[in-house]
Amino acid sequence: MKIKPILYVVLVSAAGWLAACQSNNSVTPALNAVTYNNLPADPPSGGYNPTNGAPIGVTNKFTFFSFSTGVVVANSDSATNKWDLGFRGTTIIVNSGTSGSGSTTAQVITGTFESYNTAPATGYSPDNRASANAPYAIPTGSGKGWYNYDYTTNLITPIAGKIILVKTTAGKYAKLEIISYYKNQTMPSAPTLTPNDRYYTFRYVYQPDGSTNLK
Amino acid sequence: MSNRSIILFILTGCAWFALPAQDSLSTQKLNEIVVTATRNEKALGALPMPVTLIGKNQLKTMGSLRLNNVLTEQTGLVIVPQVNGLGNGLQLQGFDPDYTLILIDGEPLIGRYTGSLDLSRLAVGNIKQIEIVKGPSSSLYGSEALAGVVNIITERPAFTRGTVSARYGTFNTTDFTGDLSTTANKLGVYAFANRYSTDGYSLGTNTNKTVSPFINTTLQGKINYKITPQTDISFSARSLQENQAQSFVVNSNSVEIQTMGTGTIHDSNIFGSVEHRFSKMLKAMAKIYTTHYATATNLNVKPVDTLYYHDDFSQSYTRPEINTEYFITPRHIVMAGTGTILETVQTSRYGDENKRLQQTQYGFFQYEWLPSDRFQVISGGRYDHNSIYGAQFSPKLSMLWNPDNRFTLKASYGLGFKSPDFRQLYLNFNNTAAGGYSVLGTEIVVERINQLQAQGQLGALFYDLSQIGKLQAEQSRALNVGGRYTPSPGFYFDVNIFRNDIDNLIETQVVARTTANQNIYSYKNLHRVYTDGLEFNASYPLVKNISASLGYQLLYAKDKDVIANIRSGGVYSYYRDPATLETKRLSVSEYFGLANRSRHTGNFKIFYNNKERGWDASLRVIYRGKYGAGSLQGNVQGLTIPPSDRNNNGILDVYDNFVSGYFLCNVSAAKTVHQKLRVQAGVDNLFNYKDALYIPNLPGRQIYFSVSYSFSKK
Repeated sequence: MKIKPILYVVLVSAAGWLAACQSNNSVTPALNAVTYNNLPADPPSGGYNPTNGAPIGVTNKFTFFSFSTGVVVANSDSATNKWDLGFRGTTIIVNSGTSGSGSTTAQVITGTFESYNTAPATGYSPDNRASANAPYAIPTGSGKGWYNYDYTTNLITPIAGKIILVKTTAGKYAKLEIISYYKNQTMPSAPTLTPNDRYYTFRYVYQPDGSTNLK
Repeated sequence: MSNRSIILFILTGCAWFALPAQDSLSTQKLNEIVVTATRNEKALGALPMPVTLIGKNQLKTMGSLRLNNVLTEQTGLVIVPQVNGLGNGLQLQGFDPDYTLILIDGEPLIGRYTGSLDLSRLAVGNIKQIEIVKGPSSSLYGSEALAGVVNIITERPAFTRGTVSARYGTFNTTDFTGDLSTTANKLGVYAFANRYSTDGYSLGTNTNKTVSPFINTTLQGKINYKITPQTDISFSARSLQENQAQSFVVNSNSVEIQTMGTGTIHDSNIFGSVEHRFSKMLKAMAKIYTTHYATATNLNVKPVDTLYYHDDFSQSYTRPEINTEYFITPRHIVMAGTGTILETVQTSRYGDENKRLQQTQYGFFQYEWLPSDRFQVISGGRYDHNSIYGAQFSPKLSMLWNPDNRFTLKASYGLGFKSPDFRQLYLNFNNTAAGGYSVLGTEIVVERINQLQAQGQLGALFYDLSQIGKLQAEQSRALNVGGRYTPSPGFYFDVNIFRNDIDNLIETQVVARTTANQNIYSYKNLHRVYTDGLEFNASYPLVKNISASLGYQLLYAKDKDVIANIRSGGVYSYYRDPATLETKRLSVSEYFGLANRSRHTGNFKIFYNNKERGWDASLRVIYRGKYGAGSLQGNVQGLTIPPSDRNNNGILDVYDNFVSGYFLCNVSAAKTVHQKLRVQAGVDNLFNYKDALYIPNLPGRQIYFSVSYSFSKK
């Protein structure tokens, strides 16, 4: 029983040393995964109506995010190409087609964040709300895109193993994993009318050089 | 505190009753007669399949009042609550309670209105012995006998004797039991009465009781009459009436409503038979059995007294059967039988109070072949034809070999099945509150979808209409291989290795969605699962009058489709790291298995029995290892139970939260004077183990005292 962890530590440190050696010889520097905490996606300031479950105090506006700057873009820039993704409730839009003036495309892929070291060349779609089957590049609905909805607890949980791959208007690739839908990554343990939901925490890797390398 | 130190503490703490002794009670004698495994009388040691026998002496020493208390202490049996956290169903070899047939004197008990049969319905006072056959027994008993069969054998008319007893204990629990048996010439009569009442108990912090106060009364009578030396007729009847006083504070959209009402259960069984022995070699029996179960709940809002909730369910089951047994020679025995089952259900849960009916015709045979005194083969099969799901054939083959007097080796292979129950066929449940979803039985779902389509309300259909609304019986194939080694009388090791492959498991599934995004669930044959593991029992006479026994079950219960999905990198093959919430790849070995199954369960017992001095006592330690909680919809106290799956991959893996394993310790001691007066005291759940959230059917510590008086003219 005790041999295994020791062996593991030895192997991991050996692997880390090898990786370090390789990256010294490599021309492209390794990219950093960045975690963005608590991106507000139109949170209901007054919680939820106890009778009909409707959110109270929402603006119905998207919060826009840009990979190249790594920060939120002002809502007044909604008609520009400055943003890549827009967040409102459980809906994530991309800046293209029926959602924006840009040509950002995206797809949801099953796998781990680490397993996509190279962005796939194909499979990306723009938003097209006229389409009955795929109105959004990142599908909405429980079990269809990035989240599950539990109707008994009203809780939203990001599905394990769903990675969003994005090709921005500038033709740059990024991968993104949603970590949490709740403020400070604290999902309520029981149903509540003030769940502090609609706060995204996600991690991403953005490749500014235009290559498909996402390592 | 480590598990080992707990056991040590229990042992030292309970060592007081190890008094000087003269006579030992072996927990299982191999020459004891059981009837369930082969439908005829067989010595326990001569059976080629795994059978557990719990005898009267053990029942008396344990001091248990209800059947669930008895079964929870047996190796490989786990008492589990229903979805709502209440009730006491039986999990056997990893199967849910729906898959074990419960018989009383060989005839089935009904009243599984949520699938599980509540074992606390059954009083223990009239039980002569309990026989538990593990492995599928559909070859003799048909539907439901997929995991196994529990047969409760009640007392029969014998010589003149009687018992009266009274007991008082924690939660203001009282129990009064009396029985009487007498014979005169050709006539035999047995009568039994029991009244049990309790204030119930509360585990939570709010005012609602986990179990509300109830009273139940059981009456039973049996008459035997010998018409001729070769012909016996017998008649028996049993009835149970339970009344429960309920008082709940219900939280409806954040408004607290006080509700009060009653819950009632009525359960009755009537049995009649004629048995004739044509010769020493041939006998035949004609019998008829009918049983009825009804339950109703009414809750009114206080103080305005308007109806808040009503629920009723009524089921009946009638079965005439003829069977015959023929000894071609003492080494070739055949048995055959045929019968018809008529079942009806009437309930508010199906949207109307229409009576639903299903009918089954069946025939079975069994051939026992004993080529030598050390080897035997039993083969058999049963054919069932049901008016709704069609035909089913269930064969079984079992073998036993005694290489010498100390070793017995056994193997059996059989098919088991469970037909779709009424709920899966006719349920018509519309939840108007939470999102407005509905759950519809397969016999009505297609009609509803067509209706929605005609009204333009059908949003999406996830299956072709021809794939919805048809259910097949759930089936299992099972192998049990084991043996027993008996170095000396009273000292044995018993091992059984089992494997069950279950197909066509019925699950609820979203089949359609309305334009208003309301899900429509129905039942489909979806899953393929397996359970396998090992059961181990050992008994050892420590010193004179004291015997110790040890039982252990190792269990793996897994979904085969989930395993295939993880292998192929599907939706189940990822999990979220509990600390960072980042996704990682899950390996097949990290998949824990089905919810509510403990990998390790076991028990350790010491029985002391000194007939000469009239003392008997017991110490029983029961262990249930950690297990995962499934997706539960909240327990009776209105608490939402967080499911064990905390990394949202929809399956139970080693990174999830588990319900902790626990030990229960029960002790009892009794003194009998002149074989007439008996005084008993005991404590169940000595260390007061409780888990309000996950194990609401486990009350805390219960102390009891009882007095009984017996007489007999033998």
